[in-house]
Amino acid sequence: MQGRMQKTKAAAGIAAGVILLACALSAQAYTINLSPRSPRTIYLQVGVGAFTGGTYNQGGSPAVNGTINVVSVTVPAAQVGNGTAQAMTTNSTASISLLDNYAFCNLPGQLYVGGFYRSTSSSAGSATATLVASVPANLTNAGGQTLPFSQVRWTSSGNGDSGAQPFPAGAFPAGGTVTIGTIRRNQWAESCHAYSYLNSSVPAAGTYTGRVTYTLSAP
Amino acid sequence: MSPWIPVALIVALLVALALAAAPADAATYRIDDSASLPRESTALLGWRSAVPSRYGDDTLQGTIGVALRLDVGAWRGNAGRIYLVLPEQTTAGVRLAWRTQGRLLPGQATPGQRVLVFAGSIATPYLEDRLELDIETGGGDFPGTQPLNFHFEIDVD
Repeated sequence: MQGRMQKTKAAAGIAAGVILLACALSAQAYTINLSPRSPRTIYLQVGVGAFTGGTYNQGGSPAVNGTINVVSVTVPAAQVGNGTAQAMTTNSTASISLLDNYAFCNLPGQLYVGGFYRSTSSSAGSATATLVASVPANLTNAGGQTLPFSQVRWTSSGNGDSGAQPFPAGAFPAGGTVTIGTIRRNQWAESCHAYSYLNSSVPAAGTYTGRVTYTLSAP
Repeated sequence: MSPWIPVALIVALLVALALAAAPADAATYRIDDSASLPRESTALLGWRSAVPSRYGDDTLQGTIGVALRLDVGAWRGNAGRIYLVLPEQTTAGVRLAWRTQGRLLPGQATPGQRVLVFAGSIATPYLEDRLELDIETGGGDFPGTQPLNFHFEIDVD
């Protein structure tokens, strides 16, 4: 009788073990995954930009602004070609940062250059977005005469800034592309560029124009 | 071969099973929450701030609801404390906060933490509530879809 009871308990014990195992296997029947939604965003502003609803910290959102700003200088006849750099001015009205309404650039001597880069990827090569300028070889006048774009350079600063600028000082090439700077992942970057004409040659009289296109690229 | 060896194995198995299945002992048990139902299988995370600051801001955030159903029948009639356990995650910097409809306690946790959500007598076979999980994580290194791992444990008095 005692032996029969032991066998019964053993059978019950084994059955209980099977049930417990089944419970343990079914305890993770649902899963929740985390997935980033529209994680990559870039925004570039050269000159005037646009945020709808005010600056970002006022609740605004980035928008599109197709304005092409002009940076120009009129060289006095007596100074043409004397090698004294001539400060250029802009028709841009962008003096504040659209991030937080901070008065960052001084008009009309500085052109705002800024933007941001959003990404969740930390893979190699994704640490920064790169701002590149495409530059024609020359500025031209109505008569087809030219001035090399390499006659234009810029300094870089920003009110309240210290240390290196994200878009540092540089000069345009006489055609081709030039890297203006980079924006680190998940960061807002901005600089104010003050352009000058080197004035080291004596071109024919006239108004010389050319268009530089800035492109921000994210990996 | 001695007939006592299988008998001894069976006895040892019985003792082990008895210990494992004794819910009334003062011990910690993982609760079967497999009858729970998330609102969606994936919580979509967006940037906490659509625009980053000058100093960087990579926080992603999202919310997901879970109809929680904890099988506590094994401890019915006992007093216990139930914890939400957030183990270390494959995703860096996860922070979890949850709101409830009152059956469980709201709270928040970071990986490695065990947070009290219930204390008292277990009177029903299931403990049910609706959790709204607010999830935050670092978006600077988030290669793609990642699992959110958490579970519930009970300490039985």
